[in-house]
Amino acid sequence: MDRRRADFDRFVADSTEALVRTAFLIVWDLQEAEDITQETLLDVARRWPRVRRMSHPLAYARRILVNRAVSGADKRARIRSELSGAAPTDRADDAAIADAIGIHDELMGALAELPPRQRAVLVLRYFLDLPEAEVAAALKCSLGTVKSTASRGLARLEQAMRPTNATRSITT
Amino acid sequence: MNDQLESELRTALLDRASLVPAASIERLTRVDYHPRGSRFRPPVAIGATAIAAAASGAAVLVVSLGAGASNAFAGWTPKPTPPAPGQIQAAQASCESGQSPIAGLPLMLADTRGPFTFSVYGDNDASSTCIEGPSFTAVATSESSMPVSVPAGQITMSSAHPPSHARAPYSFADGRTGDGVSGVTLVLGDGTTVQATVGNGWFVAWWPGEEGVKSAQLTTPAGVKTQTFNIPPGLPGPGGDSAGSESGGGSASTIGPAAHGGGESIQSFGGSASQ
Repeated sequence: MDRRRADFDRFVADSTEALVRTAFLIVWDLQEAEDITQETLLDVARRWPRVRRMSHPLAYARRILVNRAVSGADKRARIRSELSGAAPTDRADDAAIADAIGIHDELMGALAELPPRQRAVLVLRYFLDLPEAEVAAALKCSLGTVKSTASRGLARLEQAMRPTNATRSITT
Repeated sequence: MNDQLESELRTALLDRASLVPAASIERLTRVDYHPRGSRFRPPVAIGATAIAAAASGAAVLVVSLGAGASNAFAGWTPKPTPPAPGQIQAAQASCESGQSPIAGLPLMLADTRGPFTFSVYGDNDASSTCIEGPSFTAVATSESSMPVSVPAGQITMSSAHPPSHARAPYSFADGRTGDGVSGVTLVLGDGTTVQATVGNGWFVAWWPGEEGVKSAQLTTPAGVKTQTFNIPPGLPGPGGDSAGSESGGGSASTIGPAAHGGGESIQSFGGSASQ
């Protein structure tokens, strides 16, 4: 095996977990996250001669993955809006997962309802802890767009959680 | 509230991310992502069967178009022709569409001959070529392990050879030009001459068939010089039989005074220039 192949195999071993978890948080579906991760790694493999010379190959891979996840999610959202039966199934899955971990139910539900791009911004900021500039680079948008999108996303989460917190204060 | 929300959000995301099973990660890690050296998009109407692997900075590549390709090159000319309106742009769109390995590389040169557009994309690290014709698009990638350095008044070029089952191949040569080289005409093994397109420090030409390049006539400020390519005995010569070809591919070799092989199946040869 030549060094280039070995480098790529090492990259796959080191980065797959982070990539698939990121995709999972953005698309909110494991099967789709796996597909997106696999397609992303295939993309990176094709361009590896160039990518391996980059200072941050993972950042490049993440950019491909995030954009694929967001654009794919947009398409899926359109399909769901046309297929009335699909959305309840997805929500039921999310509810089951939330139940399984037993915490953050309201927050999980609210996250699941966010538009994919908004969720992607929050995932990059609060899961990967990327600076806003890197989030902007990953999503190919301006810094201002990242700030406003994150702000709107947080506001929606806050709004979604507010009545639940009130209920909790009554019941506990 | 925001600090608390952000903190809860971080925890929630971590919790959800942890739901990705280890088996899923392991399965994704085990996938063989390694690409072939090149590919055709879409499956060629006239029948694509092979495309050779690439070389450092420059390549001569032979592609088999299979049976029924006898008229595939109608309109080809030994000299470049002016592009039709929108021809280069259309070729770019085709070459760069989808998951093309060309993505991200700048277009260095486009050679037009009748309805065909042959584009070279590249930088110091890698190069890709794309030929677009009336019924097909073919893309090949290559890599160089170090910057290609070309002496003034000379060119670097590399060659690849057709798989043994090639039936209606075409060949191309591309490479770097040294300072002062303003024109390149390739002389094939059978004496045929093919004028290359030259620009941005690159040259490119292609022709139907498997004939290899014997020499190049270079236009320089000092006049026309001839650069010949010396291929050691026992190594595949341009246009020769396949050697070391893989299934669906071919072998590549580099010819030139300062070419450095960076890929697989590449041999470097010295060239000589005379006036």
